[in-house]
Amino acid sequence: MTRELLRFHAVTKTFASGQSQLVILEDLDFVLYSGTTVAITGKSGSGKSTLLNIAGGLDKPSAGSISFLGRELGALNDKELSAFRNRHIGFVFQSHILLDDFTALENVCVPALIRGVRQSDAVKRAKELLDRVGLSDRLQHRPQKLSGGERQRVAICRALVNAPDLIIADEPTGSLDEESSSGIEILLTDIVREEGKTLLMVTHDTQLASRCSTVYLLHNRTLQEMA
Amino acid sequence: MNMRFGMWLSGHLLVPRGESKYARLRLVRSAALIAIVMIPLVLALIFMDGMMNGITDKYILLQDGHIQLQVADQLFDSQFAASSIDPRIASADYVVSGYGIVYSRDTTSEVRIKGVDLSYFNDQRMSQLEFSGDPLKKEGSLAAVMLSTTIAQKLGVEVGQRVAFMVVPDSSSSVVRPVLANVTALYESGYHELDSSLLFMNRDDALRYFPKDRNAYTELLVFRDHVDDLGDVVASLESTLDKNFPYATWDEFNGTVYQNFITSRQVILLVFVMILLVAGVYVSSIAQEMIQDSMQSIALFKTLGATNSNLSWAYFCSVMVVTSIGMVAGVALGLLIGSQIGVLLHWLGNSGLAGLQYYLLDFQIVISWRDILAISLAMLLISSVTVRLSLGRIRKISPLEMLQQD
Repeated sequence: MTRELLRFHAVTKTFASGQSQLVILEDLDFVLYSGTTVAITGKSGSGKSTLLNIAGGLDKPSAGSISFLGRELGALNDKELSAFRNRHIGFVFQSHILLDDFTALENVCVPALIRGVRQSDAVKRAKELLDRVGLSDRLQHRPQKLSGGERQRVAICRALVNAPDLIIADEPTGSLDEESSSGIEILLTDIVREEGKTLLMVTHDTQLASRCSTVYLLHNRTLQEMA
Repeated sequence: MNMRFGMWLSGHLLVPRGESKYARLRLVRSAALIAIVMIPLVLALIFMDGMMNGITDKYILLQDGHIQLQVADQLFDSQFAASSIDPRIASADYVVSGYGIVYSRDTTSEVRIKGVDLSYFNDQRMSQLEFSGDPLKKEGSLAAVMLSTTIAQKLGVEVGQRVAFMVVPDSSSSVVRPVLANVTALYESGYHELDSSLLFMNRDDALRYFPKDRNAYTELLVFRDHVDDLGDVVASLESTLDKNFPYATWDEFNGTVYQNFITSRQVILLVFVMILLVAGVYVSSIAQEMIQDSMQSIALFKTLGATNSNLSWAYFCSVMVVTSIGMVAGVALGLLIGSQIGVLLHWLGNSGLAGLQYYLLDFQIVISWRDILAISLAMLLISSVTVRLSLGRIRKISPLEMLQQD
């Protein structure tokens, strides 16, 4: 049974640009239900990443409100927002940002350790995930020793380690070659479905978008659902 | 605050792995520099305390005693008679003291003449000097004196030779009295300042040249544990003997020396604090460097849910552990080198460093654990404050800006 996970209500986001205000999102309403996979496409600079950042509690809207599981994110202080991100959101970035000095296993463990999970439990969960994405032989490798596709798989595991409600992915295949992209697309959507999670993803990749249950186009500062 | 994550991250910061060669070197360099700051502080403390205690002991044991009871007549039959009255008293000696000029064939030397009995040189005092010859042994009618090797060298005399004295008269006497004396022994206290002016004479001879009512007194030594009870000791004697004694304590009749020590110590401790402040600024720069080098990691940790306090705690612990390691290493090395400070001073003395004549070249090492602990705590306190101030930068790192920069 699906439930309302995330709601944007009349969200507007503007940035100062010299003397004027640049409107990125305007009066945007959007509801995301749990268990769905949603792709957002649009031109570069249309505000896709800004929308994701607001959804993930990394940025705040200039006007309007966002609620997550019925709770207003605007009412949370910095500490509560940090806890919210840690427990409810898993991030996968375009450039698969990993900690260079940490092994693949440690990178995956980080969100769990931040949450306060015992190290042994975090390691166990991280190993399971890395095994599922075919990296059980890369546990002690540092990011520099991994290929782009492998790093993105580590990032996906990191996003899932705390079993968050929502995975936010910002062009997850944007920096990968075609072969790696294909593998990551299948892996990301499959693993999110298997874990029963919700995926909100920004992508230019039509093939990846087609794997999602709903696709939106961000155009003229608002979202339009695509057939 | 999630201490578990803080400790985990702190462990990684302290033992950086992977390609972080620079980070490892920085930690080692930082600890080494903190150690280098601590070594001279500990050395200076050992030198200062050892030297001051050593010089104080010389003055007390050989020149003035702890307490001088200003009574012209001999109060006690033996050196230890006073100990039976108050066990805090180590010895009581009847002495005569005055000033004079010693002449040899070639030169003169102004001296303080101290008339003592041979028993004056008890074990406590013998620990402060070495001598050659028969001290104060009477031969014939001439006064027997024991010069320091410093005075003897200046005068160009040796044991068995004679010197002439001109006893400086006090206000009660208008007669300047020339005296001849046998040099029966030479002593060496190791402290040039004292040796250059102190001369021992047989007490009976001294009593002939200095009026008893103005120059004789009883010199008391107390045991080391009771040096702060001098007033009580006198009160105890007065009560038992049912007399009132005019008296002075060593810090009163050596007021200048005593005040110099106190002032020197305070100035040195102030210098220590200044050095520690500079060290604290350096420690804060370690934190700044660590943060600067890991801004993207910090932004990522924040994105993943780490709070400012989580991260501050981790960096704070790491820097303070590095500081503590450097501090402990510095204190240990300082103590190690300090324990050999005598060797170092002798080497410097033999190399002809002129300024060392005003210092002891051989003194008992005194380690003031309380002061070392105070310095260490001050270092930790100052560092913790400066590091906390530096860690404010973590709060300013925005995950959003850093991730957009990537």
